[in-house]
Amino acid sequence: MLQMNNVSKVYQTEMVQTHALRDFNLQVNEGEFIAVTGPSGSGKTTFLNIAGMLEPFNEGEYLLDGVNVGSLNDNQRADLRNQKIGFIFQGFNLIPDLNLYENIEVPLRYRGIKANERKRRIEQCLEQVGLASRAKHLPQQLSGGQQQRVAIARALAGKPRFLLADEPTGNLDSLMARQVMELLEQINRDGATIVMVTHDSELARRAPRNIQVVDGQLADFTLYQGAQTIKTASGV
Amino acid sequence: MLEIKPIFNALCRSKVGAVLLLIQIAITTAIVSNAAFIIQDRISYLNQETGYPEQDIFKFNVMTFGTDINLSQQFELDESMLRKMPGVVDAALSSSIPLSGGGSASSFNLKPAPQEGLSVRTAYFFIDDHAINTYGVNLIAGRNFTEDEVLVTNEITQKRTNVTIVTKALLDELYPDGDGLGKIVYFGDLPLKIIGVIGKMKGPWLKDSKPDNLAFIPYIKAASYAQVAVRTKPGQRAAVMKEIENAMLENYSKRVINNIKGLDELKNEYTAQDRLMMRMLIVLITILVLITALGIFGLTLFNISKRTKQIGTRRALGARKSAIVSYFLVENALICSLGLALGVVTAILLGKMLMQYFSVAALPPSYIAVTAIAVFLMSLLAVLAPAKRAANISPSIATRTI
Repeated sequence: MLQMNNVSKVYQTEMVQTHALRDFNLQVNEGEFIAVTGPSGSGKTTFLNIAGMLEPFNEGEYLLDGVNVGSLNDNQRADLRNQKIGFIFQGFNLIPDLNLYENIEVPLRYRGIKANERKRRIEQCLEQVGLASRAKHLPQQLSGGQQQRVAIARALAGKPRFLLADEPTGNLDSLMARQVMELLEQINRDGATIVMVTHDSELARRAPRNIQVVDGQLADFTLYQGAQTIKTASGV
Repeated sequence: MLEIKPIFNALCRSKVGAVLLLIQIAITTAIVSNAAFIIQDRISYLNQETGYPEQDIFKFNVMTFGTDINLSQQFELDESMLRKMPGVVDAALSSSIPLSGGGSASSFNLKPAPQEGLSVRTAYFFIDDHAINTYGVNLIAGRNFTEDEVLVTNEITQKRTNVTIVTKALLDELYPDGDGLGKIVYFGDLPLKIIGVIGKMKGPWLKDSKPDNLAFIPYIKAASYAQVAVRTKPGQRAAVMKEIENAMLENYSKRVINNIKGLDELKNEYTAQDRLMMRMLIVLITILVLITALGIFGLTLFNISKRTKQIGTRRALGARKSAIVSYFLVENALICSLGLALGVVTAILLGKMLMQYFSVAALPPSYIAVTAIAVFLMSLLAVLAPAKRAANISPSIATRTI
């Protein structure tokens, strides 16, 4: 589903060069649920941005569902993001002037889906996250947990095969965080591949596969499978 | 893909900035369309055909202080001297000068005073048989004065003049049926036979309600203050104007020659206020349009900085750069369309008010239409640069905390 080979990202300012990612290698298979952890400044967000084609990388190769991302132009990347990836942001990133229905509609409009099909999908997704009765509400009329569920509905509406979640529970209290996590697990069971960046180790442990980013490299590869823990050294 | 409905809904939910802009666009449309019409009206007023070859005509004043001559004879001598000067076509003593803002007006009546009858106001010049040639105007019917018909005197006399040449405008007003040539009109109780008609020539006052009514009356009353009009061959006026004072003083020295001015210069002095007003209006509407453009520009920039994260999110969700540009263009077009609708209504009301209080002519709808289209295009232009800037916001903004 996702394959990164020796991907490097350098942020250049006048004074310093910062290697946010260096020779980063990762393979994510269809249907996986991966938690990415790491200390702040380690390159988690950079990894997520590159995985989501939100920013370009300097070196290496990145294949998303077999497509070589490095060779795409801006429009092609926008279209690929729209078709393949569902984003869930830490700050929800709902558009405050649009009601829930219209918020979920945004990526569907960019894809050029017809109005009645949009309506069907939006209603279905709102139903799935349990907010069907509040379609006409504005985001600020909802609690944080509800807003994140709307954001998940927005990510799901386009039926992406790949969900990228950036600290999806970072702004939520523990009860709401659990609900959101359960929702993500359900989505994963339904077949979507999920990569979730988090600094919450409790939450990370609920994901079947954990990876850790340290200093821009994949430092530790841990696979939780029931009670059995397999540690594999990689990278360093 | 145009997201008109969600953009409109979003606008309705945060409308303060949009409403302010809308009002600004409405005011701009209303004022600019009316001002443009007034400017156009002034331009056609300033560029109107006067009937004279203005570039070739000039006038000067003669103030005689010497008392040892017969003024009438002196002016006869002066005129024949002027007419022989190289470069001069013709010259004549003229009681008033056209387009100068100074002259005499009275009424021509169909019946002698004190009988009541049709009475038409007109400017008149006391001038001799060289009038038509000196002013370079076209006699379209009838004939010129003969030398015998011109009464020249510097005394009070019992002799009366009895003919006149009038403009077509005056003739048509006196005789709407077109049969005025040869008829008698009364200048007070003085009967004058209309012997000639001039196609077009303006009187002394362009702003007069009847600027085209003018009559020549063949009467020269020599006085110590006189005005002389001179027409030169094309391109030779400046040279003749330079020599005129010496030539006149050589003929007789106990007098002052001054106020030597071209007819175009007189017209410019007379219309100075109109030109000033026109320029002020042009400056005003330019500033107004610029302010509106800056307002749109500023509001869009403000909206972009306010919505940076939103734009990044939209990009992350699959918006192409062109979709971001079109978002801002559509948003602006919506605000602008509503503003223009309000502006058109305001323009019509403003036009009616100007008509009522300042007797400006009715505002033609074409002015409103052209202004509305121009304001719309201007607004699109103003929003384009900020919209392109918005499109360049990186989608990675979506994952950053700002």
